[in-house]
Amino acid sequence: MIQAYWYIAKMRILTTLAYRFEVFAAVGSQLILMLAAVFLWKTAYTGDSSSNSMPLDQIVTYTILSILLGSFFICDVQNTIYRKIREGQIVVDFYRPSTLLGCYLADDLGTMISSVVNKVLPLFILASIFFKPPLPVSFTSFLLFVPSCILSYAILWLLSAIVGLTAFWVMELGNLGMVKDSIVRILSGSMIPLWFFPTSVQTISKFLPFQYTYQTPLSIYIGEIDPIDALQAMLIQSVWIAVLYVLLYVVWNQAKKKTLIQGG
Amino acid sequence: MISTLQHYWSVAACFARLAVQRQLEYPLFLVSWLLMIPISYFSGAWMLKVIIDRFHTLNGWDFPQIAFIYGLGLLSHGVMVVFFINTWHIDNMVIEGHFDRLLLRPMNVFFQLIASYVNFIGLIDLIPGAIIFLYASHLVGMEWSFVNIIKLFFMMIGGVLIRAAMFICLGSVSFWTKRSASLVGFTLTLLERTTMYPLNIYPRMLQLIFTFLIPIGFISYYPASELLGKESGFHIPLSMALWTPVVGIVCFIISQFIFSIGMKKYESSGS
Repeated sequence: MIQAYWYIAKMRILTTLAYRFEVFAAVGSQLILMLAAVFLWKTAYTGDSSSNSMPLDQIVTYTILSILLGSFFICDVQNTIYRKIREGQIVVDFYRPSTLLGCYLADDLGTMISSVVNKVLPLFILASIFFKPPLPVSFTSFLLFVPSCILSYAILWLLSAIVGLTAFWVMELGNLGMVKDSIVRILSGSMIPLWFFPTSVQTISKFLPFQYTYQTPLSIYIGEIDPIDALQAMLIQSVWIAVLYVLLYVVWNQAKKKTLIQGG
Repeated sequence: MISTLQHYWSVAACFARLAVQRQLEYPLFLVSWLLMIPISYFSGAWMLKVIIDRFHTLNGWDFPQIAFIYGLGLLSHGVMVVFFINTWHIDNMVIEGHFDRLLLRPMNVFFQLIASYVNFIGLIDLIPGAIIFLYASHLVGMEWSFVNIIKLFFMMIGGVLIRAAMFICLGSVSFWTKRSASLVGFTLTLLERTTMYPLNIYPRMLQLIFTFLIPIGFISYYPASELLGKESGFHIPLSMALWTPVVGIVCFIISQFIFSIGMKKYESSGS
């Protein structure tokens, strides 16, 4: 059975490699975002001498790595579900012996693997040329960073799946995944770490899953969160994963019921 | 001559009416778009505010001025999205062979391309942009004098033409290479990051490129610098209100040239 999932992932890897124009455009876009963000920070820091915030190269590393993670964390499941419901093809996926969500996860994991070569590696090299290689603060932080990333991806993927499944009910509203993405972009700390925001925003954000997707692993990487606190942060990430998993399970069952009642 | 113009105008009006009807058919569909775009733009402005609150200035640009250039950039983007959005679909039309249909009609192909898709949904881009710009111009204390309004008008036209020219050139690439849709997204990101922040945050080299090679700086940075009375990187004589539309028209003519070369190739390859 695992072979079936592996095949899907492999196909996805091959297709993405074939479209090199798209790859160039994707890397190019991410590069522009990176340059704009880093230059913005550099400019901000030149004007400010009295700052008590973190040193410039730490925030630059944070930003560069945020872009790298952004191109690595592929959650196309929300677009896939939306598209297939719109085109009516979702029924076909129900007939397969493997779970529908499992297939989409395999899809995304396959894209992630190819994006390491297609996007992450070139972006890392480009970042090293333009600025400096975004290295972790210590080996320990890197060791903690990796599992935190895995947890982050789980949160992001579960969120995307849940939002994607809402299309079973509100397809007419359009792709709500885009709305979710714009909210996540701000609240996840992927563009600006949340500690720059007013305290009211920070308090609210603590009770939302978003800051645990980008900010947590990134903070571990640059050493803003020390190893002990990192374990605590990963615990919170795991809690969110559990919550979202249950939510996904419920929504998925509802979606299946709805499809059965309507006769596919 | 007059009758040709009248004819073109009536065709354009007809196209516009059809476009509105088409777009109003499934209004609910726009809800996600209607949510996403304002969230993106307002949050972008908010994030700039957060940075400036902490760091006070960006190379001498304070928040009202940053918001001003941000809004100005969004305005020309919004107008372009309303009128020229079909330039984003050129590659799809090449692949699907839609150009044959346009070629068969006794009217200028490019005109048909643009006039057939007046994108009223683009108002979703334009309205937040206008709000941000008006708010910023209030903060900055810009005088809405007659001269300023005329200047603004010409800067807008120039900005829109430069943007449209870029997309036309990129779309025309598909006449040779067939697939170029992904370049649209790339160009959008590029335009976003260079027109919504002051150009002087970028190193000198990039400023040079965006002034003389690909004149993106003329879309919002130089006009904004002038309206705000700030020093921009290069000393350019005369008013931006003159230069921007001139640059815009030049770019547009170049893009038309490239487009027509592409069309000839399309016709001759008999796809």
